[in-house]
Amino acid sequence: MTYYDVDAILTDAQKVPCTFELSVPALGFLEGNMSGDVKQGSKVELPLWLGEMLAISYGAPQSPSLVSLDHPSALSPRVLNALKADARTVDLRALAPHFYNLGARVLELFEEEEMIEVLSDAFKYRAAVIADQAHNPRGALGEGADFLRGLDENERQLFRASHDSAKAVRTWMNDLKK
Amino acid sequence: MALPLPPGLTPPEIAFICEMELVTIIPRQRLEGLELLGGPLKPLNPPQRAPIPLWLALLLKRQRRANIIPPPWLSPHSLAAILKFETKNSPDAFSPPPRLPPLPSSNTVPLSSPFLPSSTADAAADALPYHWLELGTMLLEAAPDDFEDADEVRKLLRGLREARMAKLRQGVEVLDAGGGFKMNGVGGMELGEARSFITGVVDGLRKIGKSKEEARKERDRENGYSPSQDYDDDDMDMR
Repeated sequence: MTYYDVDAILTDAQKVPCTFELSVPALGFLEGNMSGDVKQGSKVELPLWLGEMLAISYGAPQSPSLVSLDHPSALSPRVLNALKADARTVDLRALAPHFYNLGARVLELFEEEEMIEVLSDAFKYRAAVIADQAHNPRGALGEGADFLRGLDENERQLFRASHDSAKAVRTWMNDLKK
Repeated sequence: MALPLPPGLTPPEIAFICEMELVTIIPRQRLEGLELLGGPLKPLNPPQRAPIPLWLALLLKRQRRANIIPPPWLSPHSLAAILKFETKNSPDAFSPPPRLPPLPSSNTVPLSSPFLPSSTADAAADALPYHWLELGTMLLEAAPDDFEDADEVRKLLRGLREARMAKLRQGVEVLDAGGGFKMNGVGGMELGEARSFITGVVDGLRKIGKSKEEARKERDRENGYSPSQDYDDDDMDMR
């Protein structure tokens, strides 16, 4: 990931639920309370980059961190179970436009062997379907339309890559005929 | 990215490389010997058969100065046998590439694709060489009248291509962030077509499994195993 990678920036902008472990004065605008304080224990949705910074920065010696992070709703056990059951039917784009990138970032913060397994298996399974759809000229419009609408950003790039290479070979074969 | 081309070779580039392959022709006209960059070409004397590069064969064919003899593996009989092998006998693996000829004792340099006579009239009939798809397509396009049954060959080539591309796509299910996928016998054009998809899948899997990888490295380091210095450096550049 480079500094100017738009996808990385957008991934970091996705919201994660955070719980404040301390009361912070004058930060009330984070939860829509324009002039007040943030109370201890209040739950706020913060962008990943901000939540991460607050969670791993150390405050006073008694309380180890300012906020505690939780899993984003896109990676809740409900979604993981759905992925385990049938990865094809899950609409990843509605959950998070950069679903796998978000998963990778969350996995940097939490250690979860099972989530890695579920995400890799889902990615592999969906990749095979994506390749089939990309080579099927009616795939994007016909029966595959619902599935393709639910692809996350990574998978869209994959679809485009395999569609373009298939198209390049077809173009070359047609050019021979001229 | 500055260059709007995908990584790897584009189909026209693969076809260009394929034009170095030798094919057998029956010349219809006499032609003086040529001093080509790729080596001298013997004079063509009709009706003696001669091996010449594909690009020259296509040129002579277009000028009606030669007939091309299709390689033996491009006959309906061998293609049907290979297709049967691909679909029935080994539904998971690709049919093996042609066997390498025994090395002459004086020459220790191993021969590879453009220098092997894999597409001349005396090539092996039971195996697809590296450039099978592009060579077959170009010959069918330029010299359909030199085939016994061009339509049948065309149909079998398309069937083979479909069957093998489906296998390549199914192959991603056994891929792993650190694992491999056996691709022996896959041709040049097939590689060019599947490259961007397969690398995309491997990249995605690596991204997801990165934290696991790092945990494993950490463990290795604690157990006293230290990867070499330049390996570490490479790793830093990748990130």
